[in-house]
Amino acid sequence: MKILRDTLDKFEPLFTKGGKLEKLYPVYEAADTFLYTPGHRTASGPSVRDGIDLKRMMIMVVIALVPATLFGMWNVGFQHLRATQDWNLAPTAAPFFECLLYGAIKFIPVYAVTIVAGGTAEAIFSILRKHEINEGFLVTSLLFPLTLPPDIPLWQVAVGIIFGVVIGKEIFGGTGMNILNPALTARIFLYFAYPVDISGDRVWVSGSGSGEWIDGATGATPLAFFYSNGNAPEAMAAADSLSIGWFDAFMGWIPGSMGETSTLMCLLGAGILIFSKVGSWRIMAGCGLGMLAFTLLLNFVAFAAGLGADHYTAVSPAWHFVIGSFAFGSIFMATDPVSAAQTNTGRWIYGFMIGALTILVRVLNPAYPAGIMLAIVFMNVFAPLIDHYVMKANIRRREVRLGLQ
Amino acid sequence: MDFSNKYVLGFALLLCVVCSALVSSTAVALKERQDANKELDQRRQVIRVAGLAQPGDALPKETVDTLFESIQGRVIDRETGDYIDVPVASVDPIKESKDAEMSAKTPSEFKAAQVSRLSNRLQVFEVKTPGKECLVLPIHGKGLWSTMYGYLAVKNDLSEVVGITFYAHGETPGLGGEIDNPSWKAQFPGKSVFGADGVGLGVVKASAPRDADYEVDGLSGATITTKGVDATIKLWLGPAGYGPYLEQFKTQG
Amino acid sequence: MDKATRGILLDPLHEQNPITLQVLGICSALAVTTKLETAFVMSAALTFVLVCSNTTISLLRNKIPGSIRIITQLAIIASLVIVADQVLKAFLFDTSKALSVFVGLIITNCIVMGRAEAFAMANPPMASALDGFANSMGYSVVLIYVALFRELLGSGKVLGSPVFASVSDGGWYVPNGLMVLSPGAFFLIGLLIWVQRSMTPTLQEAD
Repeated sequence: MKILRDTLDKFEPLFTKGGKLEKLYPVYEAADTFLYTPGHRTASGPSVRDGIDLKRMMIMVVIALVPATLFGMWNVGFQHLRATQDWNLAPTAAPFFECLLYGAIKFIPVYAVTIVAGGTAEAIFSILRKHEINEGFLVTSLLFPLTLPPDIPLWQVAVGIIFGVVIGKEIFGGTGMNILNPALTARIFLYFAYPVDISGDRVWVSGSGSGEWIDGATGATPLAFFYSNGNAPEAMAAADSLSIGWFDAFMGWIPGSMGETSTLMCLLGAGILIFSKVGSWRIMAGCGLGMLAFTLLLNFVAFAAGLGADHYTAVSPAWHFVIGSFAFGSIFMATDPVSAAQTNTGRWIYGFMIGALTILVRVLNPAYPAGIMLAIVFMNVFAPLIDHYVMKANIRRREVRLGLQ
Repeated sequence: MDFSNKYVLGFALLLCVVCSALVSSTAVALKERQDANKELDQRRQVIRVAGLAQPGDALPKETVDTLFESIQGRVIDRETGDYIDVPVASVDPIKESKDAEMSAKTPSEFKAAQVSRLSNRLQVFEVKTPGKECLVLPIHGKGLWSTMYGYLAVKNDLSEVVGITFYAHGETPGLGGEIDNPSWKAQFPGKSVFGADGVGLGVVKASAPRDADYEVDGLSGATITTKGVDATIKLWLGPAGYGPYLEQFKTQG
Repeated sequence: MDKATRGILLDPLHEQNPITLQVLGICSALAVTTKLETAFVMSAALTFVLVCSNTTISLLRNKIPGSIRIITQLAIIASLVIVADQVLKAFLFDTSKALSVFVGLIITNCIVMGRAEAFAMANPPMASALDGFANSMGYSVVLIYVALFRELLGSGKVLGSPVFASVSDGGWYVPNGLMVLSPGAFFLIGLLIWVQRSMTPTLQEAD
């Protein structure tokens, strides 16, 4: 450890004011504070500081993402195995390390490309703008690969994350100023720019379309199944179909993006975020409520309008909860502290709207079943407006209380 | 500046007269040219879908006219399949389908194509070029976002498809928009048209099991556009579309 | 060239650009810019309408009663637009098909009404014609920039001839679908505004 500190100290003069590489100070600073506690102190008052700074906060999110990431890697391997050997293979019967290894081989290059490409974009802007490279990117760079299908071409990963970092964040002035979630901006860019590689039924299981696929392996996600077949969970669970039941979807051993399939692992992450007070439980609960309310409304409409129990609108809230990355989005994406609403009432409204819009887009929009992604970015845009009105209402209420109005 | 009411009225009147004269004279003067353009454009589409030109050919007017000497545009009665003796350019089935008197409601079994009304008169193009004989039928139906307009060409004996084309649509670029991708359209030629029970030709969901004699593999990630193309084909080849005409044409040779 | 004429001619290209600074005429800038060719034709159509309408309105400016000013301008502009549309249909059929309703919608293009009301009503015909021309050029420059990138990135072509060989033709370039959709134009215009304001900080509004 001493060697590391010494090396860093040895190079420091190069980067500080007057040094040869002065312009690259943000790069040095990032490496140093990633490894060690920052050395500088608050110069002016108020001098009271919370022990938790942006870096610790972002590290908490990364820790919360670990279960979903590990599970995701295993699932990429497991889905591949299912599609190439036995479509009805039980998860417990699959060779654990083989699956994990296969998934790691798929996931790590995507993650590495994200870090390098996005990190370079970050570094360039930090140097131009003379601010420090921000820890926010640690979270963005982990969230983004988790939302991608396993076989995504690596150049697309690079283009996507650069777009996300530049358009989603730096254009507004960097972390803290961005109105959109950069990871989601990156994903939406890919979704509209190169739809063939990130939508449809063929991309969600690694190796799809290659010769080694067995008969009966479709690779469709449960969301896509409901979308094209209506509310037919029994048909979906049948052995000659997707052979996926509610419990499978909840556990997450279903086709999907690399790290978002498991509702259970996301809930585990939610526990960490809520316990450490890094993620807002109000937003998460709001998302759940909004989803529940809107789904029940649709269920009622399906019933009242006589659309039949097998219509897409009749899909139950329990199902909507476990499919289409709902948990991942509402727990990790919607709660991004910068782009979400900041007031407590605002968080409820913001979350509720995300939940409701997710279902609206999923069920009633004919083209884009990926509801949660669009809903979150849409509400990101509205978050400042929600806060504005919540604050205004609060001021009004106080004025009334004081008899000023 | 103050103007009297009389002046204001007079000014407005004069302005209206001048403007309308300008607009109507250009419209009248250019009408003939515009109609010729429209016809030329349609003829190009017909030639392409009938396979009389290479895909990249520019098709100048002279070529189109020469090629069209062996193509006969006809107007038919949709319900009976009989010829109607009027010039083909004088009929616009799409316009007429909006007129309640010149069209009829689409039968409910074809509602998947989302074409609400069908005009009573339709255009067909009978290609008589030796070795390339076929029938070119204008078709349209709804995809995901838009109505897709195109032509379908089938062999004279109705045995197989010659080609399909969509010249106007607003489907998602890269997904449904691939309906005008030559490599996707290339799947159609050679497919059989009529099966034991009606129209066999169709498009099925991407990579789903299909009958390779009749069915084409759909576009990946564009389920609704794919369904729309399928429904459009079924509608126009069926009894409510060109069915009666095709039957007559086949028996009379 | 005296200073005033210079201003009339050059301001709309940069410091008073109708699209990037006044943010007018955006809808057609989104709709007709998937291909460079349509952008050229649209620019030409707008130039024709704007120069003619500015000149006509400037000639009549002392005769137009204030009470029916706006409707008079509209009638003149609308007539010119219809003439432009008819001419395109007769002589450039394929492009006019691609432009569809957007030539007709020049009527609602705020640049045309804006210049008529803001400039032509108060200036002599020569200056008005110049102003119309310069503003059309300001519009055209942006339109052509957007269309160039949208066509290049969205389909790998420039003016219809392949520059990047696309995958469907056996090449290497995967066309970017976002560029073909309208939001693609928004991003490009946004980036242009960003670059323009970074280069000329005086254009930035106060926070």
